[in-house]
Amino acid sequence: MATMEMDDPKMGLKAHWEPKNLLSGLTLNQILFSNDYRHIALKGIFTAFIMLALGGTFAIIFRTELALPDVQFLGARVYMTLMTLHGMVMVFGFLIPLVVSISYYMLPKILGTDRLLWAGAAQASYWILIVAAVLLVIGRPDFTWTAYAPMSLRTGNPNIWMGHVAIILVAVSEFLAGAVLFRNALASKGGLKNTPLMAWAAGTIGLLFMISVFPLGFVGFGLLSDWAQWTQVAYFDPSRGGSVQFFLYVFWTYGHPAVYLPFVPAIAIIYTIMPRFLGRPMWSYWSGVVAFVLLAIGAMPIGPHHFQPVYTVSGDYQRFVQILTMLVFIPSVLHVFNWISSLFMGPIPDSARRAIPFKFMVFSIAFIVYGGATAFLNAQIAPDSDFIHNSYWIPAHFHAMFFGFSGQMAFAGVYFLFPYFTGRMYNQTMGNWHFWLWQIGLFIKITGMGIAGYLYFPRWVYDYLDIPGWADAQMAITIGGYMVGLGFLFFLVNLFWSAKYGKEVTDDPWPVIHDLKAAPAAAPAE
Amino acid sequence: MENALGIWGPQAIMMAITASFTVLGMVMLLAAMMMKRRWKPSYAVEFAFIGIMLALVWYGDFTSTKTYAAYQADLNAEEKTVSGNYDGLGEEAFDRVVTVVAFQWGFGFINEEDEISRNALVVKPGEKVLLKVVSNDVIHGLNIPVAQITAEIDPDDKRELWIRAPDAPGKYLIQCVNYCGVGHAQMKAWLVVDAGEEETDGENT
Repeated sequence: MATMEMDDPKMGLKAHWEPKNLLSGLTLNQILFSNDYRHIALKGIFTAFIMLALGGTFAIIFRTELALPDVQFLGARVYMTLMTLHGMVMVFGFLIPLVVSISYYMLPKILGTDRLLWAGAAQASYWILIVAAVLLVIGRPDFTWTAYAPMSLRTGNPNIWMGHVAIILVAVSEFLAGAVLFRNALASKGGLKNTPLMAWAAGTIGLLFMISVFPLGFVGFGLLSDWAQWTQVAYFDPSRGGSVQFFLYVFWTYGHPAVYLPFVPAIAIIYTIMPRFLGRPMWSYWSGVVAFVLLAIGAMPIGPHHFQPVYTVSGDYQRFVQILTMLVFIPSVLHVFNWISSLFMGPIPDSARRAIPFKFMVFSIAFIVYGGATAFLNAQIAPDSDFIHNSYWIPAHFHAMFFGFSGQMAFAGVYFLFPYFTGRMYNQTMGNWHFWLWQIGLFIKITGMGIAGYLYFPRWVYDYLDIPGWADAQMAITIGGYMVGLGFLFFLVNLFWSAKYGKEVTDDPWPVIHDLKAAPAAAPAE
Repeated sequence: MENALGIWGPQAIMMAITASFTVLGMVMLLAAMMMKRRWKPSYAVEFAFIGIMLALVWYGDFTSTKTYAAYQADLNAEEKTVSGNYDGLGEEAFDRVVTVVAFQWGFGFINEEDEISRNALVVKPGEKVLLKVVSNDVIHGLNIPVAQITAEIDPDDKRELWIRAPDAPGKYLIQCVNYCGVGHAQMKAWLVVDAGEEETDGENT
């Protein structure tokens, strides 16, 4: 492949990427407060791993409890606290910060600015999120990540205000992160026709971040105010004149765009690394641009599909939400079609086939198909009012999307960036163990959840009856969960071992080699 | 089971469409990785895809709305919505009318004689039962797997659902599916189908 083509802005600008050991010689001051984009990204990525370990440990604990019917060792309150923290830590602490941090690193590289604009805001966003996470762990709320009023006002936990404050802090942190992404996307010199797709993603999702977090901040404030009874005015507490409907609409005005906040940056990672591995541009530039814009526009008005079997979502409004929800399918189909066509339109180099990030990318596309196709069913009120609403079918859907796609794509990005951060290559064998344990474990876990949901297994229970099929499905999910946990251990060992002892990389770590047998000398380091 | 939201019928078609889409995506991905012959797909293929999607959106909305409207038609001929200001019209179409109180944490069932049963809804086989559901504290969910119906109930709000009781006598699960506080997992009740004295082969459960 000609070098000129690889330097095209739509191709990820190879010229700006250099493997480098950033880790040695890092001072504590640099780790904590440096505004260099590489340091901010490294810190964000590493913190996300800690959050993943934390949220994963919670999951392993309550998964063990759920493997068998009846109560083994976890009480209701502890279970619900672990469940709430699992959801909040994974989404707000792990997934969103991880994909955003990867964007912080990739954007300046791709746009050639070589510095993160408004880096101070990124720094503030990071530290505010840390405060929120600490508050959550101390306050131990048990109101699930959706914090439905008035239940979340009456949990009997005296520290519950920490959960409400944490919601406000998450909103502030996400606003700042969105502003940084948006500002850096504007730094693109390419104009409308030559802006890299990652910048399109950052621009649209940054805007969506900045708009959608206002309802979240208001939810946090309203809950806090209602709980503390500061004023005569109650926003959400119906016993004091507040409105539960108001809560639902405000919360899901944030809550639906929120599910795209980790989704779109993960898509952007595909558009950045796929051309690098294939050695050719994407199948279509404009298809990607249109899909990003459509997704951002379509995300806002469809929140009510999260609570549609409730009486206010009815009649023509019900149909409006239903149709728009199904239409949001289209931008996702445009993306997936674009990726599959890019893979299909030419040979896949041997070097790509054996690269761990490429493998993660291909399988995350499989998971977006697996989880995304059910969205067509979920959007419809009739099946939704049967077995879908708040049964395990929904966790199956969003674990496929959040973990199977976004999470795995973020890990593809991490493996891709590994040589650029450490100057060394990861260990291939351990990478393969991680890869296969995750694919098999995730498939078992997600399929088990789907089957449990089809059998009307309710969400958020620590104890369940021995109804035919329920216990088997739960056991399968637990086994899948253990496999995912084991895979993560392989990743952690790989991370630390390879950063110290991995093969050194000085040149391009991802050369495009079509026939490795013919040119073994040019094989990439591993 | 005679129920407009039933698994068979429109819903089976929707699930088949979902499954076919999953399989199609997987086959395309597999072909992109494995196939020897390769070419650049034209934009026409993508537009054809969007066309199919738009048709499916239309079909999904049409079928779902029709199914749900048929279910609601029995509830309130005037309003055409599941709930709101149910005025009692059309109650004679049902064999039994029960008020369901969802609370933290359990279900209370009040029959037409104002008798309250905690956690057992007793009906006769095959009866058409109208449930008027209310909640006084927090948001609850009501799910009756055997009747294939789920609804979410907000405080200070009244909803109507109807079910056709199963023909076989026995105990069937009623459960809350919306997290409503620490006792959520215990928020269950039973739909007891009791053949009673009228049926000679009846059996109490």
